[in-house]
Amino acid sequence: MRRYETIYILRPNLGEEEINTIIDNTNAIILKEGGTIIHLDRWGLRKFAYLIKKESQGTYILCDYATEPAAVFEMERKFRIDDSVLKYMTVKLADDITAEKIEQAKVDIATRKAAKESGESDENDDSDDDSNDSDE
Amino acid sequence: MPPIKRVFARKKVCRFCTTDQETIINYKDLKTIRYFISERGKIMPRRISGTCATHQRQLCEAIKKARQIALLPYTGSIPR
Repeated sequence: MRRYETIYILRPNLGEEEINTIIDNTNAIILKEGGTIIHLDRWGLRKFAYLIKKESQGTYILCDYATEPAAVFEMERKFRIDDSVLKYMTVKLADDITAEKIEQAKVDIATRKAAKESGESDENDDSDDDSNDSDE
Repeated sequence: MPPIKRVFARKKVCRFCTTDQETIINYKDLKTIRYFISERGKIMPRRISGTCATHQRQLCEAIKKARQIALLPYTGSIPR
């Protein structure tokens, strides 16, 4: 098992349900190969630094997971076919991850999130999905 | 004996070395990265930002990743 992190960007005109279906389908691919989702973060609508497929903004979804390489291939193949995915990027975080480490990572993320919420909110943590137009 | 050259430049220190040794520069952490890019989106050279070689390398990777996923521009002004 390897640990990966994928950011994918969906078209801005998609409805909440369509976004959910895409996320569910993606997660299903990971789970099918015996993987685990460590963390899923929806950044919501963000403005791009440059145009992607003639769109100026899109819905960012960050998924942190552990799975076999085959699942990543399959996932990226689906992304390429799917027209509503504007762009994706997968980063390998660790070559080898055990079940204990996965649990540890989950705990780490949960504690960090709790700490962040109690403290000052981070700039690029757009947990709101709707009407987050803070960026000009 | 040659005259002593006056050097006015202050010794710069790497921002990442002084803080946490363990922090890996993350491409999603735009707050930190933004300090190391010019207004036109270029990566600041080491002689200006003062980062050490190790961290400049990591920073460079992070900026390039952020560019790939449209968090930072390849060229042009920085959003926001």
